[in-house]
Amino acid sequence: MQKELKKNLIAYSFIAPNFIGFAVFTFGPILFAFILAFLSWDGANPIMWAGLDNFKRLFNDSQFKTSFVNTIVYTAGTVPLTMIFSLLLAVVLNQKIAGRNFFRTLSFFPYVASLVAVAVVWNMIFNPSMGPVNMLLRNMGVENTPGWAADKNWAMFTVILFSVWKNMGYYMIIYLAGLQGINPELYEAGDLDGVNGWQKFKHITLPQLGPTSFFVLIMLTIQCFKVYDQIYMITQGGPGTSTLVLVYHIYNTAFISWDLGYASAIALVLFVLVLAITVIQFRGEKKLS
Amino acid sequence: MNQLTHKNAAVTRIALYLFLFATVVITVLPFAWMLSASLKLDKDVFTFPVRWIPEEPRWQNYEDIWTKIPLGRFIFNTAKITVIVTFLQLVTSSFAAYAFAKLDFKFKNQLFLGYIATIAMPWQVYMVPQFIMMRNFNLTNTHMSMICLQAFTAFGVFLMRQFYMSVPDELCEAARMDGMSEYRIWSGIMLPLSKPALSTLTIFTFVATWNDFLGPMIYLTRTELKTIQIGLRMFITQYSSEYGLIMAASVVVLIPVIIVFLSLQKFFVQGIASAGLKG
Amino acid sequence: MRKTLMTLSIITILLLNSVAFAAASGSQEKTGGDGVTTLKWALWDFDATTYYEPLISAYEAKNPNVKIEPVDLGSTDYMTMLSMQLMAGDSSLDVVTIKDMPGYNNLVKSKRLLSLNDYVASKSVDTAQYGGIAEQITVDSDLYALPFRSDFWLVYYNKDLFDAAGLDYPNNDMTMAEYDAIARKMTSGSGASKVYGAHYHTWRSAVQLFGILEGKQTILEGDYDFLKPYYQMILDEQADGIVQDYATLKTSSTHYSGVFYNNSIAMMNMGSWFISTQIAKVESGESKATNWGLAKYPHPEGVHEGTTLGTITTLGVSAFSKQQEAALDFLGFVTGPEGAAIIAETGTIPAIQTDEVVEIISSTPGFPSDDASKEALKVYQTYLEMPLHEKAGEIEVVLNQNHDMIMTNNISLDAGIAQMNKEVKEILGR
Repeated sequence: MQKELKKNLIAYSFIAPNFIGFAVFTFGPILFAFILAFLSWDGANPIMWAGLDNFKRLFNDSQFKTSFVNTIVYTAGTVPLTMIFSLLLAVVLNQKIAGRNFFRTLSFFPYVASLVAVAVVWNMIFNPSMGPVNMLLRNMGVENTPGWAADKNWAMFTVILFSVWKNMGYYMIIYLAGLQGINPELYEAGDLDGVNGWQKFKHITLPQLGPTSFFVLIMLTIQCFKVYDQIYMITQGGPGTSTLVLVYHIYNTAFISWDLGYASAIALVLFVLVLAITVIQFRGEKKLS
Repeated sequence: MNQLTHKNAAVTRIALYLFLFATVVITVLPFAWMLSASLKLDKDVFTFPVRWIPEEPRWQNYEDIWTKIPLGRFIFNTAKITVIVTFLQLVTSSFAAYAFAKLDFKFKNQLFLGYIATIAMPWQVYMVPQFIMMRNFNLTNTHMSMICLQAFTAFGVFLMRQFYMSVPDELCEAARMDGMSEYRIWSGIMLPLSKPALSTLTIFTFVATWNDFLGPMIYLTRTELKTIQIGLRMFITQYSSEYGLIMAASVVVLIPVIIVFLSLQKFFVQGIASAGLKG
Repeated sequence: MRKTLMTLSIITILLLNSVAFAAASGSQEKTGGDGVTTLKWALWDFDATTYYEPLISAYEAKNPNVKIEPVDLGSTDYMTMLSMQLMAGDSSLDVVTIKDMPGYNNLVKSKRLLSLNDYVASKSVDTAQYGGIAEQITVDSDLYALPFRSDFWLVYYNKDLFDAAGLDYPNNDMTMAEYDAIARKMTSGSGASKVYGAHYHTWRSAVQLFGILEGKQTILEGDYDFLKPYYQMILDEQADGIVQDYATLKTSSTHYSGVFYNNSIAMMNMGSWFISTQIAKVESGESKATNWGLAKYPHPEGVHEGTTLGTITTLGVSAFSKQQEAALDFLGFVTGPEGAAIIAETGTIPAIQTDEVVEIISSTPGFPSDDASKEALKVYQTYLEMPLHEKAGEIEVVLNQNHDMIMTNNISLDAGIAQMNKEVKEILGR
């Protein structure tokens, strides 16, 4: 018992420096935000008990419904595309080619650069009337060029493309790291059996990258559900409400209407959603392995 | 047969370089644009089609950014916060991660779950309670507030734990047999081993703190305390946006991040490798 | 055992935090031993705004025992930052600048502002000098702020372009139809040298608010059919290439000043805040539109000339300030005639608009020298861009969204207006 206690104490002493700071400055406020979902508060007047009222309101809130659907669409579009492109890039940059480090550094750039600048450039490139992308399409004979960020049917796709491009480098590096962890003997064995590049990729690389892909999947999903900055920079949620996402709606509710209780209620829904999806992904991963 | 594979290889190689070339173009474009815009007058920044090389480069922008706002002061503030946060983050995260990865104790899983769950919470939600709390601690308008907020994150612990998990347990067991204390094992064995992971965490923390905007904006309202991201926003005034200056300052501000990235790049890749594999 | 411990620790954390939340915010003693009172004034863009500095030094010269300390919260998200600083009884701000009406409404609703009724009564401040603005911001017979800046919309035009086309300059009594006709006549050329007849910035107010000049309806009533003719006129102009395309302007974040400087638009409807910017940029050489003039805002048929949109910037005193008396005195100075004169000298339109003020502004170096431009500064009646309303913030969000949809042709005009009617009624009925 004495020994057990000592063991626990040592472990806690390791955790304490981080945990105390974390509990006070992050975990506490989060718990408070959870409770806030059942309260009614504008930040200045006395706090009132609201019970489930905030949650009932969700059902009559058309902006909430729109932003909920948009968030799902955004996530469903961004996650697979980012995974595919970052994997592709990683596989290419894992080859022995000239200037490899240079290319790796470069592809990490969009992630590091200031969002303001990057977003401005993106909107220039995809400008519906004068942007180079539509110029190119027109030269190729496309008559009805897409309106991109200005068209309600294309805006979400434009935002997704932007996100993929901005985050590609980040996940590329994670994949690259995963690739370097694959035992080279596996490929040598493949060479002996005379398999081609595609088969090697399909039967060796992909399965070996399983754990990495899983890590990417979870981080990416969470990140997508929390998206705000990128949407703010490209479309401000527009045109109309076509790219309005949950965190955007939360921000409006909290800081334009100062309805902190209701904002927390929306956040709670988001939180449960993310948690549920993460758990499902965990289950899926366990089944696979 | 041999010729065929040779030909195939050449085709693949060309395709490879084409792909890389395309990637380079789309990743470099914003930086080329930033550079070019930073040498223009505001009114010329958005002209179409884009004039990549300004007719009369306006070097004046690079002088103005230092005098129009106290940019030097801001850079100093940001550097100070970033260095302290990064240091604290590295020490406390790797310390805590060791316990989560290599020690057995009560509530280990519950505590860890608590950490991870918070990653899923958008900051906008608990920003207000957090702000009120900080004010009651009398920490608003101090750099201490930014340090407290950013030095203890779940992400750091998660990342370091994933790395330590991949270090064989036998290594620790052997050290324990030799009578080493857990603290000695951490400092003598784990830390030196985790250079790649530490580099990874360094660059992530560095970039996040350096580019943080909303936090400083809310917590630091006195000019002498502000950071560069707020400084960048200062060029977007109510009735006009001085994009030439924003871009000039963006270029200057990007340099430290790039230096840190380049100097850690070698370790960096290996770092996430280990974390990712055990994910 | 495990569970209890877990619960216990959660409770401890909660307690710790609630203690922190409940603890009274540290009272800061601001009156130093030497009897100097320091007032904190929340504002935005201190360095980029010309009138803060002279206002502060003039006041400090008059009141040597008071020091004014500006707190710059930045212009983007200013109202959010301000509300945050005033959260739950924080006394760290004394005087606050209020940027817009929805923000004012929120501050009033959450009791963050001190009522100025007693002050106005005791100092017998003449609220009539603000030309009806004070009445428009009175909530349930309580006034919580006084205006110090009052901008209104007018038409900026490029004289060189009109001369080149051989047309008369826009006059001070234009109906909407006349304005439209001039815009169409002034459009010429193509490609990089194209001249557009008019220009509407991507703000909702630049297009939609022509509708409220009739004075019959406000934009907060949930019925927007009266906006249709105005939208139609501008959508037609857009379709005919008379004005630049909204979608292009929006996605390229084109700033209205740039297109005016580049001599590519003949007329532009914009707020009076642009006067001082344009003067400064002509002087610095950045604005190539050196020969320019001002005209009164175009108005619907049957409406008096000089009827225009207004947007006001007001000052209030924090309800939590510990030095309300000193704060009120400073507020009185800035919003009073002395403050107005100082503001006017920087080329900015103060809230008190007397003939003297018009004289001061129009004699600023760089202001167009013709009489018509000077006359354009005389306003007959202003309607606030966003009147005071409890739900103004939410309604604004919906209006902006649908404006965006209509102007980008993502939705037909009729459908867009119907959508506005429906969604705003939903908000009003809640």
